[in-house]
Amino acid sequence: MSDDINLSARSEKRLEPDWLSYHPSAGGYDEAFEANGDVRPHWQGLLRSLAGSGLSSLKHRWSEARHLIRQNGVTYNVYGDPRGMARPWQLDPVPLVFSTADAEKLEAGLTQRGLLLEMLLRDLYGPQKTLASGVLPPELVYDNSAFLRPCHGSKPPGDRYLHLYAANVTRDPSGYFWVLGDRTQCPSGAGYALENRIVLSRMLPDVFRECQVQRLALFFRTLRETLSGLAPQQRDNPRIVLLTPGPYNETYFEHAYLARYLGYPLVEGGDLTVRDNRVFLKVLGGLQPVDVIFRRLDDDFCDPLELRHDSFLGVPGLVQAARSGTVTVANSLGSGLLETPALLAFLPALCQYLLGEELRLPSAPTWWCGQSSEREHVLTHLDDMVIKPARPSLRMEPTFGGELSRSQRTALADRIRAAPRDYIGQQRIALASAPVLAQDRFEPRHLTIRMYLAAHGDSFAVMPGGLTRVAASPGSMVVSMQAGGGSKDTWVLSAGPVNTFSLLRPDDQPVSLTRAGGDLPSRMADNLFWLGRYAGRAEGLTRLLRVVLGRLTDGAGTSESPELPSLLRSVTILSDCQPGFVGKGAPARLVAPEQELLSVIRNPRRSGSLASVLSRLGNVVGTVRDRISTDMWRVLGDLTKERFPHELFAEKPDSQRDDEQEWGTAVSGLTLIDELNYLDRVVLVLAAFGGLAAESVTREEGWRFLDMGRKMERALHTITMVQSTMVSVSPPERHLLEALLEVTDSSMTYRRRYQGTMQPAPVLDLLLADEINPRSLMFQFAALADAVDRLPRNTSQPGYTPEQKLMLSALTSLRLANLNELSLIDAAGRRSHLAGFLTQLSGSLTALSDSLTRTYLSHLQTSRHLGNFQSILQES
Amino acid sequence: MTLVVIRPSAMNYRVQHRTRYRYSEPVSLCQNLAHLTPREVQRQRCHHTDLMIRPHPAIISPRVDSFGNPATFFSVQEPHTELVVTATHFIEVLAREKPVRPEQSPPWEKVRDALAMDRSPAVLEAYQFVFFSRFGRPNEDLKKYALESFTSRRSFIEASIDLTKRIHTEFIYDTKATTVSTPAEEVFKRRRGVCQDFAHVQIACLRSLGLAARYVSGYLPTDPPPGQPRLIGADATHAWVSVFCPVLGWVDLDPTNNHIPTDRHIVLAWGRDYDDVSPIKGVILGGGTHVMSASVDVVPNLCD
Repeated sequence: MSDDINLSARSEKRLEPDWLSYHPSAGGYDEAFEANGDVRPHWQGLLRSLAGSGLSSLKHRWSEARHLIRQNGVTYNVYGDPRGMARPWQLDPVPLVFSTADAEKLEAGLTQRGLLLEMLLRDLYGPQKTLASGVLPPELVYDNSAFLRPCHGSKPPGDRYLHLYAANVTRDPSGYFWVLGDRTQCPSGAGYALENRIVLSRMLPDVFRECQVQRLALFFRTLRETLSGLAPQQRDNPRIVLLTPGPYNETYFEHAYLARYLGYPLVEGGDLTVRDNRVFLKVLGGLQPVDVIFRRLDDDFCDPLELRHDSFLGVPGLVQAARSGTVTVANSLGSGLLETPALLAFLPALCQYLLGEELRLPSAPTWWCGQSSEREHVLTHLDDMVIKPARPSLRMEPTFGGELSRSQRTALADRIRAAPRDYIGQQRIALASAPVLAQDRFEPRHLTIRMYLAAHGDSFAVMPGGLTRVAASPGSMVVSMQAGGGSKDTWVLSAGPVNTFSLLRPDDQPVSLTRAGGDLPSRMADNLFWLGRYAGRAEGLTRLLRVVLGRLTDGAGTSESPELPSLLRSVTILSDCQPGFVGKGAPARLVAPEQELLSVIRNPRRSGSLASVLSRLGNVVGTVRDRISTDMWRVLGDLTKERFPHELFAEKPDSQRDDEQEWGTAVSGLTLIDELNYLDRVVLVLAAFGGLAAESVTREEGWRFLDMGRKMERALHTITMVQSTMVSVSPPERHLLEALLEVTDSSMTYRRRYQGTMQPAPVLDLLLADEINPRSLMFQFAALADAVDRLPRNTSQPGYTPEQKLMLSALTSLRLANLNELSLIDAAGRRSHLAGFLTQLSGSLTALSDSLTRTYLSHLQTSRHLGNFQSILQES
Repeated sequence: MTLVVIRPSAMNYRVQHRTRYRYSEPVSLCQNLAHLTPREVQRQRCHHTDLMIRPHPAIISPRVDSFGNPATFFSVQEPHTELVVTATHFIEVLAREKPVRPEQSPPWEKVRDALAMDRSPAVLEAYQFVFFSRFGRPNEDLKKYALESFTSRRSFIEASIDLTKRIHTEFIYDTKATTVSTPAEEVFKRRRGVCQDFAHVQIACLRSLGLAARYVSGYLPTDPPPGQPRLIGADATHAWVSVFCPVLGWVDLDPTNNHIPTDRHIVLAWGRDYDDVSPIKGVILGGGTHVMSASVDVVPNLCD
C-alpha cells in the first residue's frame, strides 16, 4: 500500500479537524469512534455527510423534524409527571449505525435466544422437566406471581408462545454484545422505532439513501403474516385486534400508531367480550368474532375472572377462550414469566439442556442470591454489582453497589441476607456510547439497544434496526424513558441492494376498492358521541360568557344593560354551577359578578365550568385519537393543553377547606378583558373543530355519533337559553332578546329580516322553527332525525325504530307549533305555553340519548365480580 | 344410581351444596369458575357427582387445574335475575388405616431442608406449597408465633399438632369478624375469624418456617354421629390444613375443631389458599345489587 492512499484514508477516518469537537467517553465502547479517535468504517458515510452539511444545517433540519414529532403528537406518558401526562418523544438526530457483520452476529445470537425462551415457556407451562432435572431452581417458578397458574397445562394454538420478542443489548468496552434483559409478554418500542425511522429518513433523505440502510417494513410484514397465520379459525381473513390498556398507558401513542400501521383496530378490554368460549368485538352492528389478539396489556391484567381480580382492563373469560383454542393471544398469556431477571443466571445451562447448544449471545453475568455460594459471591463483589429484583413483581430500582456509602452497603447486604430469593447481582457492564446532539456540540451518551424478533415459521426474524435509548446526561448509566432519556433511530447497513418494500404505500399493487368504513367499536361510538357533546357544550357556554363579558367590559353597568342580571342567571343555569347567580348569595354576586364569572370560566374543580368541560373534552379526545384526523387532534390539543395561570390550583384537589382563598390567589392576576380574548380564542378553535368535522370526516358511523352529540348539545343550549330568558318576562324585553340572538349567533339573520323591530314571535320563529337557520332547534332536530334514520338497525324488525319514533314526534310538534300562542304571556307574567313546549322538547332529547345508549351502546355495561369478593391485595 | 357397598371402616355421605344469587336487575352475561367437584384422594371415593346450574349455561367446560383439582368454567348468556348452582355428591370416606404417629416424623428442621433440596416428584410437588400466596404473606409476628410450637429439633407432626391446638384455643370463632378476602396477618392481629381464616393463619405460620402447607376445602356432616359433638363449620363449606412430611406424606389438620380429620372430613379441592379453590368465582354484566346465599347439607347415605 502506498503512502498516498494511506494518508487519504487516514484523513477520512479522522474527519479533520477534530470532528465537531466530539470526545468519546473514556472506558466504554464508542459505537462511532475507535479508541484512537478514528471513525469506525461503517460510520464514515453518515458522519462525513453530517459534517459536510454543517452544524447549522443539521440544527435547522432537526428543528423541523422536532416540529413534525410534536405535530404528530408522538408522546410518551410519564407517570407522576407534575407537568402533565404526555411528554413529547425525545429523538436524537444522529442515528446509531450497525455494520452488516455486527448485525449478522447479533441476528444469530438473538434467534437462538428466542428459540431457547420459546422452549423454556413450553416446558414451564407444560411438564416442567427443567425443575425436576435440577437445571432451574423451582423457587423461580413457584415463588413467582409471573407464573400464571390458570395457564399451566394449556397449549396455545400452534404450540407457539412468543410472537414478538425483544432483548435489550449493549456492547462492553471490548466490543462484545451482551443481553441486559428480555421482554417477552408485550414488548414496547417497536412502534417508536418505526416513528423514529420515518422522522429521520425524512430529515436526512439523501444520507439515508446513500448509506444503504435496511428498511423496517419487511419485518412488520413478517409480524403481520405471523399474526394472521395464528388465527385458529377463518384463516383467510382473520380479524386481528390490538389490545391496549388505554390512553393513560405510558406508550399509548405507540399502540395507536402500530394499530394504524398494521391495519388492526385498536381496542380496549371493554370493546371485547367472551361468549360461547369465543372472543368478540362489540361494534355498532353487534358482535364480531376476533381471531387474534395482539396485546399490549400485561399478563395479569388480561382477565379479571382468572387472573388479577382488581382490574377490569382486560376481558372476563379470556383465559378460558385462549384455553379453548378459539383465539390466539400474542404473546401467549403467561409469557411474562420469562421477564424474571433471576432466569438470566440459568440461561447457559438451560440452553444446553433444552437445545443442546452453547448460548451464543451471553446475558450480563448474573447471580441469583437464592443460592448460597452465589449470594456470597454477590456480597463479596458488591462494588462491581448492580443489585436488581429477582422477580418482575418486586418493585425496586436497580442499585449500583459501587455508588453506595459504607453504611448503605451494609444495609443492602442485610436486606439481601434477610430475603435472598428476592435479589440478583448482575455484573456491572460499562454500556456502549454514541454521539448525540446537545445544544451546539456532540456529546457521548451511554446507550442500550432494544432489538425485536418476530416469530417466523419455526424460527424468528430479526428487525434490521431497533430502538436505541440513550441516558439523560453524560456519564449516566441509567437508560430509561421514564427517567427522561432519549432515543435514536437505529440503522443496519445493507451489504447488497436495499429492499425498498413499504407497508405504507403499496402503490404498485392494485387494491380492491372499498367504501366500507370498517366496523366501529361501540365504545368508540360512545366516545365520539361525547366528544361531540363536550365540544357543543363548551361552545354554547363560551358564546354566552362572551356576550356577558362583552357587556361588562364595555364599562356599562346594569343601567345601560338591563338584561345583564338575566344573562348572568342564564350563565348559572346553563353551566349548572350552583349557587352562582341563582341560589344562595346571588344578589351580592349579581352586583359584583367578576369573581363568579372567573370561576365559571377557569375553575377546573367546579363541575360544569368551562374549564371542567374543556378538560373532559381533552380526556375524550385522547380516547378517539386514532379516529379523528391529525388536524382535528392538533386544533383541540392546543386548546386543552393550554396552561392556565391557576394550574397549581387544579393539581391540588384535596384541600377542600382553603378552596375559596386559594382560588382567590390563583385568579388574582386575571382580568375580564384577558378572559374575553381567551373566550374569543375558544370560540374560534371550537368553530375550527366543527369545520374540520364537517369538511374532512367521511360520513361513517363515527362521524354520525360525533355529529349527533354536537347537535344534541346545540339543541339543549338553545332550549336552555330561550327558557332562561323568555319564559319569565320583565319588560322591556328588547335588550334581552338582542342578547339572546347574539348568544345563539342569529343576530345577523334577524336584523336582515326584521330590521329594527324586536318582537318575541319572530325571535322564536328564528330560534325554534326556522329550518334554514343552522342554529335553530328545527335544524338540530331535522339533522338528528336524519342521522337516526341512517344508523345500523335490525332489519328483521319492520317499522320505525324507537329513536326514529322519538324524532318524528319531536319534529312534528316543532312543525305544528303556533308561535303566536307560544309568545303569549299569562296573568302571572310568564310564557307558560312556551315553558311547557320547551320542557317537552328537552325531554325528547334526553329520551333520544337514553335510547341510543340502550340500542347501540348497551353492551358497554361494566363487568364486576360476583359475591362479596372485594379487591384482593396485590400479590407481591 | 351406583350401588354402594358399605364397609365397616367407611362412611357414606350425600352432599348437597347450593349457591343462589339474586339480582335486582337482569344480568346479561355471567362467567364463572367453580371448584365444586370433589377431587380423587386416597382415602375417599366419589361415586357420583353432579353440577346443576339454572339457568342453563351456554358453555360448561370441565378441566383439571394446576393443582390437580377438577374445575368447571361455565357461562350463562341469557338475561337472568337468579342463578342457582347445585352440586350433589355421593362420597365414601375411608378412615385412616393407621392413626397418625407424631413420633414417626423427623424433626421439623429436617423436613424444611428436605423440601428445599429433594427433587423427587412428591417433594417437588409439595415444595410449591412452601411459598407465600395472596392470603398468607411473610410476617415476623406469624413466624414468632409459629416458633413457640416449633422448638428446636421437635417432631414436625407433633409441633404441627401443637400449633393447630394453639390456634384453636387462642382464636375466637366469629362469623362477623372477617370477609372472604381477609389476609392471614389481619386475622392474626384480631385473633378472630372462621375456618378459612384459621387455615390461612396456620398455613402462613408454617410457610414462614419454610414448611409446606396447603389449604383444603371440603365439607363436614351436618349432624354428628351419635355420641359425638357437632363440628363447627358443618352448615357451610369447611376448610382445613394439610402439612407435608417426606416420611408420612400429607397429614390433614383442622385448626377450627382441633382435630385430625378422619372419616368426617370430605375433601373437595386443595390449593395454596382460598383463592385457588373458592367454590364459585364469577364476573357479571349488569345485575344492579345482588344477594348471595349458600347452603350445605351433608347426610349419611346408608342404603342406596
